[in-house]
Amino acid sequence: MTPHAYKAKQFLSNEPRADWHDQTLWLVRQKRDRMAAAVPEWENLRKQASLIKENVLSQLDVFLEQFETEAVKNGVTVLWAKDAAEFNRIILDIIQKHQAKNIVKSKSMLTEECGLNDFLHSRGIEVVDTDLGERIIQFRGETPSHIVLPAIHLKKEEIGETFHEKLGTEKGASDPTYLTRAARQHLREKFLAADMALTGVNFAVAETGSVVVCTNEGNADMGVHAAPVQVHCMGIEKIVPKQEHLGIFTRLLARNATGQAVTTYTSHYRKPKPGGAMYIVIVDNGRSEYLGNPKYMHSLKCIRCGGCMNTCPVYRRSGGHSYGYVIPGPIGSILAPQKNQRKYADLPFASSLCGSCSNVCPVEINIHEQLYDWRQDLTRQKRTSFVKRFSMKAAGFFLSGNARYNFVGQIARWAIRYLPHCLLYLPINAWGRERELPSAPKLSFKQWHGKRVKN
Amino acid sequence: METGKSKIGILQSIRKRKTLFPAFAGMTDCTFSDQSSPAELAEIFKKNLQAAGADIVELKTDAVEEYIASTLNVALDFRQPEIIAEYPADCPLSKLNKIEQAIVQGNFGVAENGAIWVEEKDIPHRIIPFITQHLILLLDARMLVATMQNAYQRICLNETGFGVFISGPSKTADIEQSLVYGAHGAKELTVLVNG
Repeated sequence: MTPHAYKAKQFLSNEPRADWHDQTLWLVRQKRDRMAAAVPEWENLRKQASLIKENVLSQLDVFLEQFETEAVKNGVTVLWAKDAAEFNRIILDIIQKHQAKNIVKSKSMLTEECGLNDFLHSRGIEVVDTDLGERIIQFRGETPSHIVLPAIHLKKEEIGETFHEKLGTEKGASDPTYLTRAARQHLREKFLAADMALTGVNFAVAETGSVVVCTNEGNADMGVHAAPVQVHCMGIEKIVPKQEHLGIFTRLLARNATGQAVTTYTSHYRKPKPGGAMYIVIVDNGRSEYLGNPKYMHSLKCIRCGGCMNTCPVYRRSGGHSYGYVIPGPIGSILAPQKNQRKYADLPFASSLCGSCSNVCPVEINIHEQLYDWRQDLTRQKRTSFVKRFSMKAAGFFLSGNARYNFVGQIARWAIRYLPHCLLYLPINAWGRERELPSAPKLSFKQWHGKRVKN
Repeated sequence: METGKSKIGILQSIRKRKTLFPAFAGMTDCTFSDQSSPAELAEIFKKNLQAAGADIVELKTDAVEEYIASTLNVALDFRQPEIIAEYPADCPLSKLNKIEQAIVQGNFGVAENGAIWVEEKDIPHRIIPFITQHLILLLDARMLVATMQNAYQRICLNETGFGVFISGPSKTADIEQSLVYGAHGAKELTVLVNG
């Protein structure tokens, strides 16, 4: 069994929870649909967003340099990291330079990708995640299971238990308002004591050197404005050329992510606060390698809305942790093999290829087509299991010749009718693990049709 | 911190691989804006701001000060020079954290999502709209645009160190998707629309 299938099975063993997960994310998808339908030019916006991102990627070096020039003019220190190790070291350097002790961080998938928290932890430095969902999973020692709804895999009773342990809330209390108030109080103290704030970046505007961060909770702003040092971490693909392009992306992002018209706060940081310091760290970590790959480069257009996860029939029924990569779901399944083909070879197969992900994507990434391309590439490079490769080869052989096809069809119909159950459902038949094989008709469609025509 | 080498390496890696796409030709039509009259925009704005969890109070321009004096008498009015002087940029956070109600001038509103643009020129310390328990934004009723695309034509990011669109009070749904107001920022938002 592949790692994804194995972990999905574990997730599905708790049926009420799996059903809740499925239905809750489907509700988010329906909210998204209502929002999208209320904007008459929605499809046009998707097209424009896709074109802007394509233009950015085709001139990425130019825009990055322009962005840096503008940011430096604004009094910002811009640093570049080629990989995760260098990124982590840069953050450590900034912490040491400012002798920061109390560090708060708002949501940043990039820092998750680079393993920043663990790196700093191993050097005795603790980072407090301030997004409520992220704080919950940080308390529990887990990773996010969704990029926008990090704690969607948990029930309120479990969160209540965690808060009882860590924050001293009443035992057995699980009211979301009560728990949120407790977290508000706890994290206010962290904000007030913060001497450095880390954030991710939603958009970086080349012509102004600004970074834009979108949150509903206000945690990015509480940290950034409270701490004397603010550090914004961005992948190289976060660039948009002009301020006016933000109009298109901010119309798409929250509608597609959570079905809101816009996030509560859309913050534009351009200059350090009076007396403060501002850093922007630009990270490659393997992204530029895929610029020249016509099949996979479009994955770099992603704005991390999570819309493809909410709609995916596999994600909704297997949970984010089943993917084993920092970004789960359809988009994660095409990003993960870019990082490590061997480790994540099963992810492009964790899909029904229904194409719903591509249809909801706000920047028109052809996600399901890339999943299909990855399947072929990974199989060619023998990254998939021998059984899978062998059975695919065999299927190819029998399906490509008329006589062979008729022959094997006859055998299969006979086998399904007469072979004992234990032989048909050998472990090698992965399909039959959770399903019954269909009953076999006496005649193939071809035979049946031939007879009909004759009569 | 020597990251110059990495910068060159990253840019070289990009140049080696980038494929040329045609430049982006222009903005999409803001059809929404073309079709709505000022009165319609005001209705759409109100509906969306309420959906985002904010309270709206509509007042005649000459009734604003009276309303503030009678209903929001404990609020700190950040249009007043003496209040601004009391909370400068180097004001201790412990003092800022005691703010219960803050009145801040909003620049303009966006009808399609109820967002209001706030710039640092209108607040002596950037944290004020977030750290206050209850935020009150003032808005001129004529200052409305239809969409975010119109909004970004109106603002100039190059003229402000910090600016933010605020749509409703701080919120979260991280616990079982239950909506709770007041995650970290203001628990309540009231918008005084005047004119």
